[in-house]
Amino acid sequence: MKRDLHQFQGRLSNHGTSSSSSSKDKMMMVKKEEDGGNMDDELLAVLGYKVRSSEMAEVALKLEQLETMMGNVQEDGLSHLATDTVHYNPSELYSWLDNMLSDLNPPPPRSNGLDPILPSPDSFLTTVAGASIGGFPASDYDLKAIPGNAIYHQNQFPAIDSSSSSNNQSKRLKSCSSPDSMVTSTSTATQIGGVIGTTVTTTTAAESTRSVILVDSQENGVRLVHALMACAEAIQQNNLTLAEALVKQIGCLAVSQAGAMRKVATYFAEALARRIYRLSPPQNQIDHSLSDTLQMHFYETCPYLKFAHFTANQAILEAFEGKKRVHVIDFSMNQGLQWPALMQALALREGGPPTFRLTGIGPPAPDNSDHLHDVGCRLAQLAEVIHVEFEYRGFVANSLADLDASMLELRPSETEAVAVNSVFELHKLLGRPGGIEKVLGVVKQIKPVIFTVVEQESNHNGPVFLDRFTESLHYYSTLFDSLEGVPSSQDKVMSEVYLGKQICNLVACEGPDRVERHETLSQWGNRFGSSGFAPANLGSNAFKQASMLLSVYNSGQGYRVEENNGCLMLGWHTRPLITTSAWKLSTAAH
Amino acid sequence: MSGKRISMVEKSNNKRQRVNQVPKFSINDHHDVLVEILRRLDGPSLCSAACVCRLWSAVARNDSIWEELCFRQVSPRPSLSLRSVVSALGGYRCLYFLCIRPVLARLPKLRWTRDQLQLSLSLYCVHYYERLYVGAWLGDAPPSSLMFLRKPVNVV
Repeated sequence: MKRDLHQFQGRLSNHGTSSSSSSKDKMMMVKKEEDGGNMDDELLAVLGYKVRSSEMAEVALKLEQLETMMGNVQEDGLSHLATDTVHYNPSELYSWLDNMLSDLNPPPPRSNGLDPILPSPDSFLTTVAGASIGGFPASDYDLKAIPGNAIYHQNQFPAIDSSSSSNNQSKRLKSCSSPDSMVTSTSTATQIGGVIGTTVTTTTAAESTRSVILVDSQENGVRLVHALMACAEAIQQNNLTLAEALVKQIGCLAVSQAGAMRKVATYFAEALARRIYRLSPPQNQIDHSLSDTLQMHFYETCPYLKFAHFTANQAILEAFEGKKRVHVIDFSMNQGLQWPALMQALALREGGPPTFRLTGIGPPAPDNSDHLHDVGCRLAQLAEVIHVEFEYRGFVANSLADLDASMLELRPSETEAVAVNSVFELHKLLGRPGGIEKVLGVVKQIKPVIFTVVEQESNHNGPVFLDRFTESLHYYSTLFDSLEGVPSSQDKVMSEVYLGKQICNLVACEGPDRVERHETLSQWGNRFGSSGFAPANLGSNAFKQASMLLSVYNSGQGYRVEENNGCLMLGWHTRPLITTSAWKLSTAAH
Repeated sequence: MSGKRISMVEKSNNKRQRVNQVPKFSINDHHDVLVEILRRLDGPSLCSAACVCRLWSAVARNDSIWEELCFRQVSPRPSLSLRSVVSALGGYRCLYFLCIRPVLARLPKLRWTRDQLQLSLSLYCVHYYERLYVGAWLGDAPPSSLMFLRKPVNVV
């Protein structure tokens, strides 16, 4: 039978002096505390156990812990209970229980600050916690009552498992041992508005992250999410001590999970830690060649980028019908993976291929190599093979807002049809004031027959940090879930790193550094509409191609293509993740 | 022996010689006929035929056989310009093995229409483009976005 602290307290308050009639077989029956805590409990003394009344609460909890542990240990056999340790004086319940508990969970060997139970010693969090940066006292494990509805467990009220999982009052913990001594902690359970918060102070001295062996990972999954939310809330309220403590917990909890949840939690925890300790992630420009590589691996592992390219190409192809000279301006050149398919489709179209001109725009390479030029050479090679007349020009620009229509050498629109393409680039302009307006102005000057835009379908640009955090947690959890079906390979790892960088930028950066400012289709629609663009519907061909592509990927399980107001959305199960939309100049603007 | 019998023996000898003199027909001497026959096979049978002997393996590399295999069910037939494009990108045999066969295997039994063809061609083109990276890629093997087609379908 499990007895809860709640019942205890109830009995404490209810129980009068008429205890003599109470049954002797209930070990936990206790008198009122007012008789002075140092007296031995009479009822238990009758049974032969000596327990001080003041310690009754703890003894109760320890007995519960012992019971849980013994229950759990049963699977491995109780062999290690039959050890050399001699347990003295079982009638002194308090110390005997301590003895038993520490025996069942021997403290780990003294390591140099790295927790041997956590399997990833090189993860960001353990190194940070071990180094104790910034003067945050690592020994003070202060968990005040965690406010807010985010973590309030609506289910059983007496359950003490609040979201602070490393709280050693929780029944589910197998052990919570510190390197030094046994845990002798005093705790008071206080109830604040229905949320049970506890204050735990330990007597141990220097302590890095506590070693916590957590059982029951599904419960921990819920706790992990709650801890993440609580940490974000703490950051929102500028309570950095609490946030720091929570971040360490998240690290412990994340390790107990498996698969997608673990990876997402690790990345978010790292980003939160960076935000707390004000460590800025490496600058984007330095890593450009790396991010190109990562995007290439992302292209191979999952269908999102392929979906984006194929649907945008289909829209461009339909817009170019009948034109003899075509020009594509690509804001997101990268490695030029979108264009071979378009060139092949143009080569095979009715009436023969047009003259194809491509202008690629990209950020400068760190080693000053002209990688845009290399990409152009490869595309030219392909074009020659499939007999398409090809012209190429590459522009290096730090930001799209630096562009001007006059630089692009546009030819008169009677001779040349222009299309503008942007895949995951426009949201980066939202950090700079006036950036997106300038670019949209330039696009209007270009007068394209079609403007294809592919963006992430999520609002990560709200003014409140907590909202952004929640949205992005859901978004990237879904994205990582969809990656779970892919067999493990280096590609997959690199794709995850690619997504991890986005997470880091989203959570840890602010101001102009924060470039991952995703917005939803409706938000982009409003922006384009007010700038003078009208939606151009993607046809059924695009939908068919997209559906086919996805059904080839992993037998199409999980991926969904949806049509939404003429735009195509690719999602995982019910959650749309990226959207392809096409726009043309609304004639009223001319 | 009587004259009649001698003439009969001579006739039967002649017959035997005539039979011996008629040349045997061997398909291996007529590659064009062999190609015509192989063109009518389906994928698995064609692959088995290519394993018969060295000669047949060489004959089976004739791209027109694979072109027929790829486009048999597509109607209307794609234009001739497609042939030059596909040959330049690596040929119909590679197209079949890399793209068409996996796509057909993954999709539910649909009629093989222009859409699937278009998809396969796009993927094939991307694959060719990625192979242009050989030597320019930093470190490991060049990327291949067709890996998702090669890996076995996850039966979860």
